Amino acid sequence: MIKVRNLVKHFGKDEVLKDISLDVEEKEVVVIIGPSGSGKSTLLRCFNKLEESTSGTIEIQGVHVDKSNINQIRTEVGMVFQHFNLFPHKSVLENVMIGPIKVRKWSHEAAKDKAVALLKRVGLESKADSYPASLSGGQKQRVAIARALAMEPKIMLFDEPTSALDPEMVGEVLAVIKDLAQEGMTMVVVTHEMGFAREVGDRVIFMDQGKIVEEGIPNTIFTSPKEERTKVFLDKVL
Amino acid sequence: MDFNMNIIIEYWPFFLKGALLTLGISIAGIIIGAVIGLFISFGRMAPNKWIRIPFSLYINSLRGTPVLIQLFIVHYALLPAIYPPGTAVTSAIVTLSLNSSAYVAEIFRAGIQSLDKGQTEAARSLGMTKVQTMRYIIVPQAVRRMIPPLGNEFITLIKESSLAGIIAAEELMYWGKAAMGQYQRVWEPYIAVAIIYLVIVFSLTYLLQWIEKRWVQRD
Ligand SMILES: Nc1ncnc2c1ncn2[C@@H]1O[C@H](COP(=O)(O)OP(=O)(O)O)[C@@H](O)[C@H]1O
Ligand SMILES: [Mg+2]
Repeated sequence: MIKVRNLVKHFGKDEVLKDISLDVEEKEVVVIIGPSGSGKSTLLRCFNKLEESTSGTIEIQGVHVDKSNINQIRTEVGMVFQHFNLFPHKSVLENVMIGPIKVRKWSHEAAKDKAVALLKRVGLESKADSYPASLSGGQKQRVAIARALAMEPKIMLFDEPTSALDPEMVGEVLAVIKDLAQEGMTMVVVTHEMGFAREVGDRVIFMDQGKIVEEGIPNTIFTSPKEERTKVFLDKVL
Repeated sequence: MDFNMNIIIEYWPFFLKGALLTLGISIAGIIIGAVIGLFISFGRMAPNKWIRIPFSLYINSLRGTPVLIQLFIVHYALLPAIYPPGTAVTSAIVTLSLNSSAYVAEIFRAGIQSLDKGQTEAARSLGMTKVQTMRYIIVPQAVRRMIPPLGNEFITLIKESSLAGIIAAEELMYWGKAAMGQYQRVWEPYIAVAIIYLVIVFSLTYLLQWIEKRWVQRD
């Protein structure tokens, strides 16, 4: 589903992604872990070109991502941000409807049916007419997930979806993501929730200083990492 | 001190006429200023530094000099040079438009730049084009943020329009001065004029607060 080859990204003189190659298979859940500043967000944002890569190639569903097809590709790739980025001037329902209506050109009724169903799914149908400012962090993030799902994406990208949440709200958001994984959604999740990584991830990637240091199935990475840097990191966070 | 109400009663129709012109000049100034200011603000936000420089020079010159000097330059030098039979009212509108365009440009810029970059990213990640993102996500939020400072700018403009009386535009202040000249009385005409300004400004302030409550304060 995602095929990355020799991806390099510079910010000015800083090389923040150094020759990254990576494949994500259909229905696979890939979890990316690593210290802050290691380039996890930048990598994720290169997938849908929120960040322009310096060199290297990215294919999504067999299509080479470039300027000409990026809007089309973005409709297939949902993204959930650390800070939710809900549209504050739109109600919860409108937040979820706007993508299908403006981008997919669905009718208002079809978009509304879809949005109501998704809000029900994330447990927020009662908040449809509220505005984002009145929601808790966990509720906001669940709306953000519903908004992304409304486009019926084939792939979902999550960039630290629970890092901005109070601890008691982490669970409700992870439950929604877990549910998606069980349904077979292809996902790439950047997270610091190691328990979640272990339970839901098909594969864990450890990044440090712009490189993929180590990858493997969660059990192996968490119990017997090969690389010294992975061990040091895991000792700190576990 | 005796207070001669008759002066005010006699001049009342002129004060009202003057107040209408004051409002007219200010409304014209804020509208033309907003249109020019919108263009100036995009120039001011241009990615290229050499494009930005003249626009920020324009903004800083107008914000850094007294309105009275701007009015004199427009009335006695600029307009006579390009449009000789100009009237005082034309000069006042041109001056207030130019002056407010500089302030409005900065208000627009602040409104757009104060929005979190995440708003654009969220919209683009749904597949919206740049134009759709501007139209449905950025501009509606920026406009809501601009209403309070634009309202303040309008109120400032109403007060500054009183300078037009100096070049004999027949707005509110002009009639206050006329009444004072005729009767050699200061209190009556100027108190009356000051109260009319106050009524205008307070009504506007109230209107703005009402608008803000209705649809600005959502985030
Ligand atoms: N827009 C940017 N401009 C300059 N440097 C950036 C920008 N975004 C990220 N960086 C830098 O790139 C590196 C990787 O950042 P990021 O991908 O956010 O790491 P992570 O998500 O793993 O914490 C960091 O050193 C960060 O300072
Ligand atoms: Mg990050």
